[in-house]
Amino acid sequence: MNKAILSILGRDRPGIVASVSRALTDLNCNIENVSQTMLQREFAGIFIVSTPREMTADDLHREMDSSLSPLGLHVYTKPCEGGEDDCVAQGAEPFVITTKGPDRKGLVAGISEVIARHGVNITNLQAVFKGGADPGDNIMIYEVDVPAAVDQQILANELRAKAESLHMEISIQHRNIFEAINRI
Amino acid sequence: MLTCREIISTLEMVKNENLDVRTVTLGINLLDCAGPDPGDVRHRITERILSLAGDFVQLCDGIGQKYGIPVVNKRIAVSPMAVVGAALSPEHLVDVAKTLDDVAREVHVDFIGGFSALVEKGMARGDRSLIAAIPEALSATERVCASVNVATTRAGINVDAVLLMGKTVKRAARLTADRDGVACTKLCVFANIPEDIPFMAGAYLGIGEADAVINVGVSGPGVVKKAVERALAADPAMDLGSLSELIKKTAYKVTRVGELIGREVAQKLKIRFGVVDLSLAPTPNVGDSVGEIFQSLGLRAIGVPGTTAALALLNDAVKKGGAFASSRVGGLSGAFIPVSEDLNISEAVRDGHLCLEKLEAITSVCSVGLDMVALPGDTTEETLSAIIADEMAIGVVNNKTTATRLIPVPGKGPGEKAYFGGLMGHSTIISVNNGSGDNPFIRRGGLVPAPIHSLRN
Repeated sequence: MNKAILSILGRDRPGIVASVSRALTDLNCNIENVSQTMLQREFAGIFIVSTPREMTADDLHREMDSSLSPLGLHVYTKPCEGGEDDCVAQGAEPFVITTKGPDRKGLVAGISEVIARHGVNITNLQAVFKGGADPGDNIMIYEVDVPAAVDQQILANELRAKAESLHMEISIQHRNIFEAINRI
Repeated sequence: MLTCREIISTLEMVKNENLDVRTVTLGINLLDCAGPDPGDVRHRITERILSLAGDFVQLCDGIGQKYGIPVVNKRIAVSPMAVVGAALSPEHLVDVAKTLDDVAREVHVDFIGGFSALVEKGMARGDRSLIAAIPEALSATERVCASVNVATTRAGINVDAVLLMGKTVKRAARLTADRDGVACTKLCVFANIPEDIPFMAGAYLGIGEADAVINVGVSGPGVVKKAVERALAADPAMDLGSLSELIKKTAYKVTRVGELIGREVAQKLKIRFGVVDLSLAPTPNVGDSVGEIFQSLGLRAIGVPGTTAALALLNDAVKKGGAFASSRVGGLSGAFIPVSEDLNISEAVRDGHLCLEKLEAITSVCSVGLDMVALPGDTTEETLSAIIADEMAIGVVNNKTTATRLIPVPGKGPGEKAYFGGLMGHSTIISVNNGSGDNPFIRRGGLVPAPIHSLRN
């Protein structure tokens, strides 16, 4: 059994997941994981599927593209290497980094550069930039895994300095506080 | 995955609504430091506290930073000094207080509680020495807090001790006359004192407690007020039942923060986690006031008709939400109404909305009692004792904790301002109506028996 990963992009409307999954079923593929999201009016979905042994990723791409491009959906496909969680650092602590500040170019680039330099993995990122100077309209929320070997104090100080240079407020908090307050 | 709303609402609570952990209090058992030699006792006390509390403040600050929640106060509560120093004279106990003050400064805690005696049923030699030492001890130190339990529901009220406390309060005020009687802000007289209060000035480590324990006091009046205001903006017709539900949910969130941080401090120090005290504790800052919650609920000010009912609702909702959030609840657990420490309450006194009688009435439905109440300097010892006795009666009969922290401000009269500084705040002096003249009733002394409902076995 082979695995492939597909990402599907297109203008959002009812029926996209149904069309994709129907096409996969017709090709005798089994869906293992799906995640979909919407940004503004655009749909993005990621599907990890197991494919019949004789089918290559190129075959899959060709078939899916011919089914989905008439519907205005773009398909990207690549073979999926096995193994799970191989990039998750051992003993990492989950933190949430939140920024607020007036919109300008380079905000995500600035913050994510510091995060990357410390070998910290971003596990989820949500960012909304409505533009303008109201800090509440321009928010980034990074969920990250900070490896045990990283000095949290140095990371926090560098993030604060970067945020200040970008005129943003920043909070760096262990994820447990959000769990404790919001979830039973 | 967390939702955007969960993250933003939590940040709002911290940044704009003063969500914090009001105090993490390290309880330290000093009973085995007792002995007849004052030098030895002081040495052992210093060694014990330094060995347990050396990194305490730094650790709390580090954990506060990790979660982005400030741990505002770090404090220590010790075994009642009347027991530890039972063999010592009042003069030597004043020296012990100075030792506690020095060691508190050394480990950077802002208060150390436990200069305390439990005398609800009678006074032993150590208790008498300790009470005699209180005025000097509190005026010669900055950080030491004293408390005396003079009544319980099981034992009744020790009016002899109440009379002695009237004298003690008066003398403590006199010794700090140049600072508006600030020594009295560190002295509580209790009925039914809990053994695990993390809040000052009543914190001490009970006789039934372990070697060391971490107790946490949560805060959150600002968070509750904002939640009420938001809900009423969305639905102006909201009824009291729904408001109670809302406060309950908010108290749950606030308590979870305290529990999380307290447990982590305890784990890092390898000390057992004790309790979360679910009290709404105000500070003299705008937006961090219990008094403001009354206004959000629709009362003109704390003190006007409806106040007692509103406080009953608030106190009940805080307890219910908190009890669900924490596995171990203790201490006082209720809303605090310390007059000078809460800007809004102190303004209600200034504007004439809140008088001593109404304050006493509302203490029947909340925790603590006549807390941080500035009285005229000419209030007599007898009148002070009578006010204390009234407050103790409310606690004893209602099977709850009550306390007084009264400050007869030397040289000042009703309507004048008293300034205590820092967290202790400032307040308009409240008049004591019908307080002048003799009070032969209280002078009789003796014991007021326990109420019939104390016979529960």
